[in-house]
Amino acid sequence: MSLKIVAESKTLRLEVLDEQGRADASLDPQIAPDTLLKMYRTMFEIRAFDEVAFRLQRQGRLGTYPQILGQEATQVVPALALKPADWLVPTYRGQGAYYARGMKLRYSLLYWGGDDRGVHFPEETNDLIFAIPVASHLTQAAGLAWASKIKKDGGAALAYLGDGASSKGDFHEALTFAGAFKLPVIYLIENNHWAISVPRDRQAACETLAQKAAGYGVYGLQVDGNDALAVWKGVSEALDRARSGEGATVLECETYRLGHHTTADDATRYRSSAEVESWKRKDPVLRLKAYLEGRGLWDESREAELKERTQKMIAEEVRAYEDFPPPNPLDMFANNYARAPWALIEQRAELARILEESRDLAEIASLPPPEGRFP
Amino acid sequence: MNAVSSNGSGTREINLVQAVNEGLRQAMAEDARVMVLGEDVGVNGGVFRVTEGLYKEFGPERVVDTPLAELGIVGASVGLAINGMRPVCEIQFDGFLPTVMDQVICHMGRMRNRTRGRHSIPMVLRAPHGGLVHAPEHHSESPEAYFCHTPGIKVVCPSTPEDAKGLMIAAIRDPDPVVYFEPKALYRAAKGPVPAGPYETPIGKARLAREGSEVSFVSWGAMVYACLKAAELLAGRGVSAEVLDLRTLTPVDIEALLGTAEKTGRVVIAHEAPNAGSWAAELSSLIHERAMLKLKAPVRRVGSWDIRMPLFRLEKYYIPDARRLVRAAEEVLAF
Repeated sequence: MSLKIVAESKTLRLEVLDEQGRADASLDPQIAPDTLLKMYRTMFEIRAFDEVAFRLQRQGRLGTYPQILGQEATQVVPALALKPADWLVPTYRGQGAYYARGMKLRYSLLYWGGDDRGVHFPEETNDLIFAIPVASHLTQAAGLAWASKIKKDGGAALAYLGDGASSKGDFHEALTFAGAFKLPVIYLIENNHWAISVPRDRQAACETLAQKAAGYGVYGLQVDGNDALAVWKGVSEALDRARSGEGATVLECETYRLGHHTTADDATRYRSSAEVESWKRKDPVLRLKAYLEGRGLWDESREAELKERTQKMIAEEVRAYEDFPPPNPLDMFANNYARAPWALIEQRAELARILEESRDLAEIASLPPPEGRFP
Repeated sequence: MNAVSSNGSGTREINLVQAVNEGLRQAMAEDARVMVLGEDVGVNGGVFRVTEGLYKEFGPERVVDTPLAELGIVGASVGLAINGMRPVCEIQFDGFLPTVMDQVICHMGRMRNRTRGRHSIPMVLRAPHGGLVHAPEHHSESPEAYFCHTPGIKVVCPSTPEDAKGLMIAAIRDPDPVVYFEPKALYRAAKGPVPAGPYETPIGKARLAREGSEVSFVSWGAMVYACLKAAELLAGRGVSAEVLDLRTLTPVDIEALLGTAEKTGRVVIAHEAPNAGSWAAELSSLIHERAMLKLKAPVRRVGSWDIRMPLFRLEKYYIPDARRLVRAAEEVLAF
């Protein structure tokens, strides 16, 4: 008889930049200047967009919108670290990741404006439509990675999730598959500390979410999610592990949701402004900017130029969004099956008759022809 | 909460959110076993503010902010109920319900029978219901048929504040599991007189929302108001339409259902879910099986199309409106 240790695990945390944007030289991932500048510009642009989208919602020009304010590094940097053929599997707070992969911002506006035509990914990247039922995409990411492994195409999948999603059974099952089959998949937890009103410490009793990986034989690492360099290094090393057959990684990126859960939420009801203020000091965009300035890659005149260009770009995207013709109601019936069954053919004809009879005839007549595949 | 007006007779005008809240509060006050659990139901008072103030009044042991895990919320509620508590759990949106069906179908609905009566599940599963509030994807669903199809549970869906409160109290006191759908389009839009004290609206009893003689609308939830509007439009054309608000979907009020079918001989069943395999299909079968010789026309179902709920810009073309109901009624009348 004996009582002995049969398994042990430890969880590391990676920080490269300090709050002033100074890098630890021994940990600096030595990212190429072009990539660094692309990272910064994309984070800057998506923050500016986020502010505009929030305002559009408040003006009644957009539906419910989930802000990403404060999470620019965890949104943008992982997406930029992927190859186009890798799978990006975001959450509903994913417009930053989609944008980093090349999707125009007008489509995010369209989607949150209640228009299905907002689901519009670039042809050249493998992007999955996000899931609003929390965590339900995580096992799918395991399947995407599994297929890459079977096909030996060298691809990996990167799935985002929040701290709240790590409480769901889906997370457990996804890690079970990822570990047992050694899948080339990364589960990137954007731990923004709040699942609507429920704080991180209410989700799980463990000190970190990264350590959950150990229970599945998966590598887990915590990084400072407001440190773009640490996120890059964590994701790059996880991708190396995936591509070299070492299996899955859980990357807990500790960040903070500076805004409300969505525009339908009021975060002042459940958290203190002091807490919010303390996280503003760890701003991911400002820290990366300071780092770039320290390396002589950035200055105020470039900043002013970027700001002007960004404002123009976003204004153009908003205009394109608002200039979209209204969706044709008959579009609903397209793309439900490879070939529509009789019931849908009948029902589409019935809706067409209703639209013709309706008093909104002028409105209907101005609609574009139906899109999509039917029958 | 908004201030409530009082007419001095113990009945006030309040909205549906306030009515559900009051039902919960009074049931908690009368029975220490009653507890509320779910995502954001405590400190935040629920995303629709249905549980507002309960955390302050009853404390964190009885009004519990759970981790984000819907299947856990329902499974834990089943266990709490077996071991003597009276859990009222909330699933935050209808679109998050599919994940809990394992507990609902395999356990909540059949524990009494599987244990030969030893363990009952006196719990309430609350969830918002329906569309037309410009909500994001997966926030406008009408999944009642999945639950009605499940043996061993009761399903209610009120359309007035008075019924909302009375059904909540009845559901909490009921010895069996009750799924309680709250039409989100009515949360603040439906206002009406509600008695101040605790009372039950009986589960299994429908409400005649409008009396008529030539055609019957049968409905529940927010769609009741589209039926009332359609009845009004029909009245303008000289047609007398009745509106039956089922309130309880299962066990359905069979007397009221057959009563209106036999009275007018023409029935239009209106609801927000796709028609295929819907609860309207079951109601239509019941009427045909038991009252066919009194019918003057086949029962007509008016639901959403047999496709998924689109994003909100097209929802008004998906969920039936009063005009579509009038159209259906006229077809039934012309049969």
